[in-house]
Amino acid sequence: MMPVGNLARMVVGNTLRSRRHFVLSAFGIVIGIATFVLFLASTEQVGAVLEKIFPLDQVQVVAPRASLLGKDISKKLDDGIVKTILTRKEVASALPRMNLTFPAFGRGDFEGNDLKFEVGGFADGIDPSFVRDDERVQAQFKDWDSMNDPKRVACVPPPASPTQEVIQSPPAPGIANRPVGIALGPDGQPTFDKDGEPIYGNPCPDPDEYYCDSIDNRCHHRVPVVMSPTMIELYNGQFAKSHGLPIADTDFVKFVTMRGGLSAMRFSIGLGLTTIAGSNTSIQHRPRRVEAVLVGISAKAMPIGMTMPIQYIERWNREFQGEEAATTYSSIIVTLKDKTQLAVFAQWLQEKLDLRLEDSLGQKFATVMFVIRLVLVLISLIIIAISAINIAHNFFMQVTERRRELGLLRAVGATQHDVRMVVLGEAALIGLIGGLLGVGIGVLLALGVDYASAHYLPRFPYKPATWFHFKWWIWMGGLACAAGFAVLGGYLPARKASTMEPAQALTQN
Amino acid sequence: MAPQAPVIRLRDVTKSYGVGAAKTQVLRGVSFDVDKGELIALVGQSGSGKSTLLNIIGGLDQPDAGEVEVLGVDTLAATDKKRAQIRNHSIGFVFQAFNLLDHLNVLQNVTLPSAFARDPKDVDGRGREALRRVGLSDFANRRPGELSGGQKQRVAIARALFGQPTLLLCDEPTGNLDSETGREVIDFFRELNAKDGVTLLIVTHERRISSVAKRVIAMKDGMIVETTDEALAAGSAGPA
Repeated sequence: MMPVGNLARMVVGNTLRSRRHFVLSAFGIVIGIATFVLFLASTEQVGAVLEKIFPLDQVQVVAPRASLLGKDISKKLDDGIVKTILTRKEVASALPRMNLTFPAFGRGDFEGNDLKFEVGGFADGIDPSFVRDDERVQAQFKDWDSMNDPKRVACVPPPASPTQEVIQSPPAPGIANRPVGIALGPDGQPTFDKDGEPIYGNPCPDPDEYYCDSIDNRCHHRVPVVMSPTMIELYNGQFAKSHGLPIADTDFVKFVTMRGGLSAMRFSIGLGLTTIAGSNTSIQHRPRRVEAVLVGISAKAMPIGMTMPIQYIERWNREFQGEEAATTYSSIIVTLKDKTQLAVFAQWLQEKLDLRLEDSLGQKFATVMFVIRLVLVLISLIIIAISAINIAHNFFMQVTERRRELGLLRAVGATQHDVRMVVLGEAALIGLIGGLLGVGIGVLLALGVDYASAHYLPRFPYKPATWFHFKWWIWMGGLACAAGFAVLGGYLPARKASTMEPAQALTQN
Repeated sequence: MAPQAPVIRLRDVTKSYGVGAAKTQVLRGVSFDVDKGELIALVGQSGSGKSTLLNIIGGLDQPDAGEVEVLGVDTLAATDKKRAQIRNHSIGFVFQAFNLLDHLNVLQNVTLPSAFARDPKDVDGRGREALRRVGLSDFANRRPGELSGGQKQRVAIARALFGQPTLLLCDEPTGNLDSETGREVIDFFRELNAKDGVTLLIVTHERRISSVAKRVIAMKDGMIVETTDEALAAGSAGPA
């Protein structure tokens, strides 16, 4: 058998000397691979954006809705259900979510605007271990009130508002001396002005992170909150424009930093308060105020609303709605060890627990994306297959034109296998070079599309900075596909070349 | 002392081309032996089957039936790899049409067989030595297109000699050369046979080659019709 080095030298030499043949053979491969990588990279990126909006790695278990005479009699999701789900071998983890079950009302200062918004119905809680998006979120997103916190010192809260309206605290820049609590002097005593009026301010030792709670008159860490990227996109797409507010940068941390850091993203929550007229929810506690802070953006947060550590929600539900509300989960997020076990798990869930999986938009989009990707990849594969036929045609012509040369190789010691490998090697090399050119053209086209998108497409929710994600396997797949199809195209000509009788090849014209 | 095995041993070799009515019988039971060191001229009219016979001996073509033994190897039973190995190591071919590769220079053409050899030693040195022997030392970097017909044939001979073959098979080696150049080539073959002991089987129309050959085998219609030397060692000269 021919040594590999000699084979490589012969293949390269033969390819370089017949440029016309190379161009004719490689043209289709270049076009095919360019479309192949472009389609794959675009569907990969679009799929990634969709998965960011609708995470696919978890499923939500919910109880089917049931009511009798206007009363909700849906099956209760509790710790017992969670434990039962955890016994399944296909389940990696099961973490409950709990909705805030009573009215709440938020108020905060943003860009000098006094924003008011409903929190009740738009807030839930989840185990902090589930939200590990970045270091800041990991450090901040936890149940501060259950910890032994040395900063939980005594303080004097501000006087209650006569209208029970939620009070923004602490004052935002430019809104001075809004009463939020009596400031403490160096001696730890309340401070007063020259008229004997108390000086209001945040009395807590670390006012950026703590507020003075009106229930136990102690400083508490603000309730950490995360929001989903959907909220930012909704803000950018509609809210910011209609309210004349600045667009949030895709890098949210950068956006927040420019506005004074996370401490600027604070707001108050009036538990038990609402702006909805006609709300007739009965609550077991008088309304009170807590303060929260947005600590980050996470796809784990509820899509429309805010998410906080579940312990806060449990305590508030217990305080305002009783024990039943504090032990009933709204859903259970189940992470499966293997996505292919989803059908088995769903069937068991329905048959044994009378529960179901929440309809997942993510899965629907994933299916649509899969079909789109399949169609696009098929189109590009058809182009490549046609180019393989073109390669076969060109190589058949080449073998006929070079039959004397191939016959001579046999005469000086080449085996049939050697001749086959020479022809296949040339086809593979054409495929590889064509593939490289195709990938290059694909990347250039992608850059062009991204440029046009950035400069000529209007902004819309989730508009990506790039429409393409060239993962390593797309590059490698493109090259492998190019070489593979080229070899496939060269196979029959190579077979013909190798089985040609050398005597005839050497004597016939 | 035991008699040396023949370099070539043919028995009842037949070959035909085409099928049905278009079938042409090219060889009809050819048998003869060639001993080491012989210089044999294979003569006959066009279509007599001499080139086909040469190709079968060189393993470039396969007979329909018969026995072909070259350098002790039954080439019909041998694998393609084994036949290629014999061609690479022990047989040199010289063709009427030279069959040089225009995209390679002279030295690369001469050393072409090394591409298919395992661990060939001193490829360039051996190539240059082969060129020296044919008097083309200064032409190593030329392209075949820059050479005359005689020079091309000498390059082809140098390529055939590159592997220091035991057997040289030449198919009308002077057919495309003028008489003077043809004479030089014939002289070279004679010298090669006399000094190096290389066995030569030359298919030719050239009377001068016949005159220098130790044996002349004449073919007609696929059969051996005459041999000018002693009787064949074994077998018959043609079908009964």
